Amino acid sequence: MNGSPAPQPLVLAEGLTRRFAARGLWRPFSTGPRAVQAVTGFDLSLARGEAVGLVGESGSGKSTVGRLLLGLLPPSEGRVLFEGTDLKGLDGAALRALRRRMQIVFQDPYSSLDPRRPVGAQIADGLSIHRLATAREAPARVAELLRQVGLDADHAKRFPYQFSGGQRQRIGIARALATGPDFLVADEPVSALDVSVQAQVLALLADLRTRLGLAMLFISHDLTAVRHLCDRVVVLYLGRVMEEGPTAEVFASPRHPYTAALLSAVPSLDPAHRRDRIVLSGELPSPADPPSGCVFRTRCPHAIEACAAAIPAPRPVGPGAGPGADPGTRSHRAACIRDEIIQVG
Amino acid sequence: MTRLSLARLWVAGAGVAAIVLAAVLAPLLGLPDPVRMDVAHRFAGASLAHALGQDGYGRDVLSRLLWGGRVSLFVAASSAAIAFGIGTTLGVLGGFLRGVTELLTVRAMDVVLCFPPLLLAMLVVTLLGPGAGTLILVLAVLYVPGFARVAYAGVLSVRAQDFVEAMRALGARRPRIMLRTILPNIAGPLLVQFSLVAASAVVLESGLSFLGLGVVPPTPSWGLMIADARASMAQAPLLLLWPCLALTLTILTLNGLCDALRDAIDPHPIPRRRRRLHEALVPGLLPAARPTGAELELRGLTIEIDTPAGPIRPVRDVSLRLESGETLAIVGESGSGKSLTGLALLGLLPPAARVASGTAWLRDAPLLHQDEATLRRLRGAAIAMIFQDPMSSLNPVQPVGRQIAEAIEAHHRLSARAADRRAIRLLERVGIPDPVRRATAFPHELSGGMRQRVMIAMAIANDPPVMIADEPTTALDVTIQAQVLALLADLKREAGLALIFITHSLPVVAEIADRVAVMYAGEVVETGPVEAVFSAPLHPYTAALLASAPTEGGVPPQGIPGVVPPPHALPPGCRFAPRCTRRIDACDAAPPPLVEAMAGRATRCPRWAEP
Amino acid sequence: MIWALKRVGISLVLVWIVATIVFLAIHLVPGDPAELLLSQGGVAADPGAVAELRGQLGLDRPILVQYGQSMAGLLRGDLGRSMQDDSPVADAITRRLPRTLELIGAGAILALLVGMPAGTLAAIRRGGVFDRTASWLAALALAVPVFVTGTLLVLVFAQSLRWVAAGGYVALAEDPARHLSLLAMPSLTIGLGLAAVVFRMARAAVLDVAGRDYVRTARAKGLRPRHILTRHVVRNALMPVVTVVALHLGSLLGGTVLVEYVFNWPGLSGLLVDAVSARDYPSVVGIILVISVLFVGLNLLVDLLYGVLDPRVRHG
Repeated sequence: MNGSPAPQPLVLAEGLTRRFAARGLWRPFSTGPRAVQAVTGFDLSLARGEAVGLVGESGSGKSTVGRLLLGLLPPSEGRVLFEGTDLKGLDGAALRALRRRMQIVFQDPYSSLDPRRPVGAQIADGLSIHRLATAREAPARVAELLRQVGLDADHAKRFPYQFSGGQRQRIGIARALATGPDFLVADEPVSALDVSVQAQVLALLADLRTRLGLAMLFISHDLTAVRHLCDRVVVLYLGRVMEEGPTAEVFASPRHPYTAALLSAVPSLDPAHRRDRIVLSGELPSPADPPSGCVFRTRCPHAIEACAAAIPAPRPVGPGAGPGADPGTRSHRAACIRDEIIQVG
Repeated sequence: MTRLSLARLWVAGAGVAAIVLAAVLAPLLGLPDPVRMDVAHRFAGASLAHALGQDGYGRDVLSRLLWGGRVSLFVAASSAAIAFGIGTTLGVLGGFLRGVTELLTVRAMDVVLCFPPLLLAMLVVTLLGPGAGTLILVLAVLYVPGFARVAYAGVLSVRAQDFVEAMRALGARRPRIMLRTILPNIAGPLLVQFSLVAASAVVLESGLSFLGLGVVPPTPSWGLMIADARASMAQAPLLLLWPCLALTLTILTLNGLCDALRDAIDPHPIPRRRRRLHEALVPGLLPAARPTGAELELRGLTIEIDTPAGPIRPVRDVSLRLESGETLAIVGESGSGKSLTGLALLGLLPPAARVASGTAWLRDAPLLHQDEATLRRLRGAAIAMIFQDPMSSLNPVQPVGRQIAEAIEAHHRLSARAADRRAIRLLERVGIPDPVRRATAFPHELSGGMRQRVMIAMAIANDPPVMIADEPTTALDVTIQAQVLALLADLKREAGLALIFITHSLPVVAEIADRVAVMYAGEVVETGPVEAVFSAPLHPYTAALLASAPTEGGVPPQGIPGVVPPPHALPPGCRFAPRCTRRIDACDAAPPPLVEAMAGRATRCPRWAEP
Repeated sequence: MIWALKRVGISLVLVWIVATIVFLAIHLVPGDPAELLLSQGGVAADPGAVAELRGQLGLDRPILVQYGQSMAGLLRGDLGRSMQDDSPVADAITRRLPRTLELIGAGAILALLVGMPAGTLAAIRRGGVFDRTASWLAALALAVPVFVTGTLLVLVFAQSLRWVAAGGYVALAEDPARHLSLLAMPSLTIGLGLAAVVFRMARAAVLDVAGRDYVRTARAKGLRPRHILTRHVVRNALMPVVTVVALHLGSLLGGTVLVEYVFNWPGLSGLLVDAVSARDYPSVVGIILVISVLFVGLNLLVDLLYGVLDPRVRHG
């Protein structure tokens, strides 16, 4: 272990929690859920140029995490640090200025572009907001961005409806890259696309990441898409981290029952990879009324009484763990008190 | 915006413009003074000087008509404009800033809406006395909430769109987002509201004037004219007609403009189903080939849809065969026509589409081209279908147990109670816990996975031998998908169900299907047993699709460059040729037919045998 | 159930707000209210009369006291006394309110009985003769203001054809046949506009619902067309129709005022128009208050009806 301190992470999230309360004055009379805790105790450390995959099903809170990290939603608890600066302490203008360095690509290619404006103008928005180019310089920069994402420069004058879903996603990526960000949140960027187009856009993202040295948070429900793009993966369930670690390791030997079930549920072309499917029983619990202790216990095939007692904290598993290992190292961790049971090869 | 709706917009706009012009130009038309009385000639008929005659006080009717229009339209336009300005501002602020601002602006407006408009107007008139000025004030106040609500609703719906959040993420300031992004996108509904309010204001003003509580004489107004003419109805009934006509025509035109604007913004294109003679003749004309003993057989299905640009064929010459107890997967991406194929088998094509040619049999019973009564007997009993989105595919206001019972009652004679009992057993069969309680639940109270199970329960209610599943797990989480696929496999085993499984996911096909048919741009390009096709595909598209599928480690997936050709711009030869890595000139010459390459395998690529 | 109580609670609050606004109206207007009421066409009022009126209306007391007294009076059912003949406003209203209600009820029933089936039929046979004719008629009915319809009906049926009397009223108990014949034209006039609104909405809603996925599911189950129409299509199309009726309640009530005037139907409107002309503020306020409460009540009814129809609303 060398003595120099680890470089400061680009994005650091500590204990992020986000609650959504019932709206407005009618709170005492509301017949719906009182408060929904979408994310609880989320920690993440993202280094420059690193790609982390955030995986979960519906109700996992993954989209909320993305927005928390960008400061688009204020956390109910915890904090987000971008290059050491706490987002909470910033006033409006400072936060807006910081936005230059972190951007987002959305899931739905049909609602992510303003239908009434030409795409070139929308890509140039970032340039004009942050004064990165004059009105004269902008078209050249837009053309360059379009080429970077694999589109023709003269498409800039066209309107969104003239493009296919895959092309619109590329435009969305161009818009995000316009300000030259260091950190990109990709919120399910290919889920709404055909399989053959998905592969193209994923390849584009991988390429851009290498060329531009982008740090990326890749949010997806599709494990296999994450596999090729990300160095590390974080698995979420009902707003809590179940497992996290290097992608290859987590996929090869998951140590949390949920991760194991998730992996086994993914249909596979290769018969050799069709494991004994772990079919989970039951349904996702209501986020407004989560189970006590480990939230996954109601569906977990290995649950015991102790699982209901306390919320398990993520603890190191895998080869990096063991006595004497530095708990601060970014190793493979799982939030399960029975992680030694899960030995899926 | 279609051409038709644009034309309607022009016509309506021209109508309104003409009326406004006539009113504006009234003073310049050299008409007699509208307030000058001429009692000696009261009720005189049409004459050279007085084109429409004279009223009870000898005043020129035509002149009063035009001047009255001026007043009415002026009051209406001013109040609408004022209300538009104030209401939109309040609505946008409330919708964008939410919180307390929303309370003060939009919710406060709701209070005004508690009063019937006419009555509020009368209240104010009591206090301030009648007159055009008071009227404009009152009407403006009355219409502000309407605009505020439309603006508010518009802002909320636009805000939910990702492109607004994108602006926030880019760091745009709030005023910029409000003005440049949100406002242009709500302009449409606001315009509609404006024309609506203008028409309503004309009605309200004339109503008040009719009661003597609006515009004060001698200023002319259509309402006043009608009131006067009503008093002398017995002597001169025609006097009543002119102002009624003018008023009605104006409102009609304004309403027409309102409707045209609505259509232009949010068109619901109504495809015209032109009936063709040969449609009625074809089923009997062509010699019907005999069925061959499969559970389901489809030959040469072609579906045609009429579009403004001419008829298109989203499905062309598709043939399939489903054996008993088998699972056949139809796999394709968007635009492949796989869903339409499934719908055609049950006769459930959308109204714009029709089967242009093809034959199909369910064992010995012909499908396609059958009358509705015959198909109805088969649907749900001999052949069932489950759909992709279980939320929209279930009746939102009916308990799910009832919906299952309905499926049973449609094909069996039994009491509602017995049907309900059977429904509960079915719910249990598909793995829904606490079925007795869940049977009375509504679809929105269930999760996505449970809703899909309900759909499956409905489909198997009458033990059909064949089931078509149109992307049943696409909208579900992967762990829930695993549950549903396991359920389907279970049911198959138990009942010997023959299943057609439509999907875009090759891995799912590999897991559950025995045979597969690959579709591209409306055609079948390859068929065969799943293992054989996936290990050694005979068509470049199948191979490319396999290469795009996510894998477990190793090579990252490869996309297919280019896009699927749209149905109205198909390439002359092989439809996949423009994107094919193995294309040669011959591929562009003519569309290649589907040939049987080996036993049980077919392909559309003429070069399948080459290495 | 909680949902229904919540709705009723909101309505009660609204009634209170309406009463407060009506109370405040006279005080929000610039200038001295009593002076305003007595001034005619710019001529200032006699100071003595003004002072007397102020005393009469209780305007000389502190505003909070006035408010308290008004509210207390309302709860008692006391709406003040008319400036025209000093009779209690509440009495005149009680006498006339049922007649207005009868007219509204008849008109609404007519509108629903005609509009809903016609709209459904027009949607089923879209583009056909019935659809196009009915749609045109509906557009016309929506364009003609209610007092024009009424006046023209009087011209045609009463004056020219002499089928019915031009107006007037006879109590139901006295002469049922004549009562109904006198009810016919006014309720037709009121119903026509609302029928056109219901027709349009029913047509649009049926078309929209017929294209929905769950109707496709119903067909896939093999259900009979009539069953699909009633249980699935119309059942779901009712909800937007109910919503649009709620939106038009305001103009329905306003239209009733005009129709009563045209046909000399002795409901609340005759009282109202006279009172407004005479600047009889207490009467005007009392009537408007009652009609507004009626309005809030009707809205509540429609809201509850919508809740019965749509379980999603009930479950929040």
